[in-house]
Amino acid sequence: MLELKDVQKDYRTYRFGRETGRINALNKLSFSVDRGQVFGFLGPNGAGKTTTIKCIVGILNCDSGSILIEGDDIEEKRLHSKNKIGFLPEQVGLYGGLTPTETLKYYGGFYELENGLIKERGKDLLQKLGLDKDSERQVSGFSLGMRKRLALAVSLLHEPEILILDEPTSGLDPRGVKALRAVLQELNEKGLTIILSSHVLSEIQEICTHVGIIDKGKLIRQDAIAGIRKEVKKTAIKLSLRVRGFSDSNKKQLNKKRGVSVIEETELGKHTRLLLKLKENLIPWVTDTLVSKGVKIFSIEPQTNSLEDVFLKETGDGND
Amino acid sequence: MTEFNDFLKRHETWRPLIIALSIIFIIAISHKIYWETTTETNPGEIWDGQTFSIVDPGESENQIWRIKFEQEVNDEIIFKGVLETSPRNEVYQNFTTGGFIESEGLVYTEDLYGKTMLNVDGMRILVNGNLSGEFFESEIVTIRAHLVENTTTFQNGPNDVTLIREGWEAEPEDIQLASDTDYYFFGTEVLILLFGTYLCLKNMKHLRNQLNLIWHLAKFEFNSGMRSSRMVILGLFFSLFIIGIGWVLGDMQDADPETSFFVESGNHALLQFCFFTFFVVSLAAIAVSVDSFHKERQTNTLNMLLARPITRESIVIGKALGLTMVVGVPAFVAQLIGLYLMILEGDIPAISGILAFLLFGQIMIFTMVTFQFCFAVAARSGTDVVIYGLGAWLLFAIVWNLLVYAISFAIGIELTEGFETNPEYQTLASHLGLFNPGYVYQFAVGLLTHRTIAIDMGGIPGWLVLLALVLWPLTCLRASTWLFKREMKG
Repeated sequence: MLELKDVQKDYRTYRFGRETGRINALNKLSFSVDRGQVFGFLGPNGAGKTTTIKCIVGILNCDSGSILIEGDDIEEKRLHSKNKIGFLPEQVGLYGGLTPTETLKYYGGFYELENGLIKERGKDLLQKLGLDKDSERQVSGFSLGMRKRLALAVSLLHEPEILILDEPTSGLDPRGVKALRAVLQELNEKGLTIILSSHVLSEIQEICTHVGIIDKGKLIRQDAIAGIRKEVKKTAIKLSLRVRGFSDSNKKQLNKKRGVSVIEETELGKHTRLLLKLKENLIPWVTDTLVSKGVKIFSIEPQTNSLEDVFLKETGDGND
Repeated sequence: MTEFNDFLKRHETWRPLIIALSIIFIIAISHKIYWETTTETNPGEIWDGQTFSIVDPGESENQIWRIKFEQEVNDEIIFKGVLETSPRNEVYQNFTTGGFIESEGLVYTEDLYGKTMLNVDGMRILVNGNLSGEFFESEIVTIRAHLVENTTTFQNGPNDVTLIREGWEAEPEDIQLASDTDYYFFGTEVLILLFGTYLCLKNMKHLRNQLNLIWHLAKFEFNSGMRSSRMVILGLFFSLFIIGIGWVLGDMQDADPETSFFVESGNHALLQFCFFTFFVVSLAAIAVSVDSFHKERQTNTLNMLLARPITRESIVIGKALGLTMVVGVPAFVAQLIGLYLMILEGDIPAISGILAFLLFGQIMIFTMVTFQFCFAVAARSGTDVVIYGLGAWLLFAIVWNLLVYAISFAIGIELTEGFETNPEYQTLASHLGLFNPGYVYQFAVGLLTHRTIAIDMGGIPGWLVLLALVLWPLTCLRASTWLFKREMKG
């Protein structure tokens, strides 16, 4: 459906058309998204997520490489490709003086949709997104959440094949996030391919079927969310313990064991809170060892790894 | 050749236009060569080549004076030049016979009655007929003239003088407007240009779709602009100003000719109307367009727009058209009312001039909008926006004359009393005027108050004014599109 091949992009700064500076944003970025996927695009700030999205939707031109939508290079068939894409930017820009109905009419005009059709689809979308009661109010009086929902309506008006959302939940309250998630899941069930970038990893975990991790303009990992979850299980987990009588010699003994490491030790009055990193099968060994050395265990709480751990590991910000 | 082919390949869409412009360039050179080879394009030089001699200055009371040219008697030359004076004022009537007029090189005799002495670029040609109302001052004409010799006698103080005079004479039917021939060349060039443009448009993908989107965007800009409080205030201000000026200019045609408030004719009033219209309308055009891109960037609406299936070029053209309409529609209405009041109080200007005043006014607004777009695209802050906008308006509407004075002074033209009538200064001012859209507007309207474009406008031919009128908006549009594409490329 969507394929990026060796996409290279440098940001240039101009003054009256003269180049005054250049910064690399995308470095031979390649990945692909199949029809019907919900593709989560992860990466730390400045990794190139928004730049990638801007290149796909045609706001920016890439310097080299190619972006293909259903096999068509968007450089060659830019207008045709734009008709297949719906785009929700992170910073929603809408004209404050217009009502949602007028906004939809304006943006719908770029797809040469007839007024009747815009009205019909617009009404449905506004209703679905909970804006039907505000359809004749000026956008300037809208909250951020309402603006996002209206922008989403705009991006869906021409019934695109791919919906691209840049940080869709930023600035939304929990209720807004939940509502948006429901809408996206419904759209995906109807066959819409969705690509979303986010730094809220739980959001990706909740919605996405596939994940791509980008760092310094390069894709460092692409997999199905199920595959990543499987890997998470294989990797070390964290174990939080509240103990009494824990000494340095106990710590040395734990650290000596292959696959176990004490990563945090906090004194809590008579008790000590320990945070260990270890393979799941070594939990019994840890408890046995501590008990045999006279350490009293008051609580034990395993912490399962999340997508965040994978993400941090891949982008080099992990602890190990 | 390979490089040229590569160039054509890279610009395949524009290839027909590039070829058309190349052909037009060749035709333009042929046009110039045609005039240079078939006519004498510097009549003043021939006139300056005449010699005056007194053949027999001896003791006798009879003297023989001789005026002679380098050419042979009966030689025929087709002169091409500008009528420096109005033929209406050069017809021989109500004069005293017997006097020798040195500047015209002849003796006033009765047979001159009803004839016209034309002044073509300083060259004097006697036409055997009354050309009053046939040709007008500043028109560029071609004259088929013969060198004739005749002898007259006259009394010069105590002496009887026999004047053996050579002079250039022509029949009325031997005089034509240069435009009669120019139109063939210009017509061919325009046809080739139109054909090249047509083929180009045919090559363009999604043309109809993009034209629809341009119109869609233009309508949106127009509606938003007309609803903005800035435009309501500006529109009201400049509309009232234009209407008021129209009425005043009509009234001034009835003023005392001795006062500085006197306006000579309807056509002169129209030219002054052009200046005042430009003065306020250019400010409005700059004001509405100056922050168009900056504001859209700030509010993130530009990204929303760029993600739609519309090309960068169409965005610039659509916005330019829309903002031109925002200023142009109220300006057009105000111009019409102003004209009505002007005509009500004074003379009716030439109809072609009125049409040019209205139509070229819209072109001028489009030019100012696209000119300002170049700065609006590059603006990085609100301060930049205000400085660029105000700077452009001050340059074109206020300080332009000071700039012309400075350049005149720098190249050694003396700016003493009456310097504005100095031909050297006028030529410089006219040429520099082509770099100011306001002056181009005035020149073009002034040109169309005449019956032909073969007019000398202070050293520049009429066709050059029309070319400037076309090139200004096209150049500004191209520059703003290029800058916009570069900026948006990231």
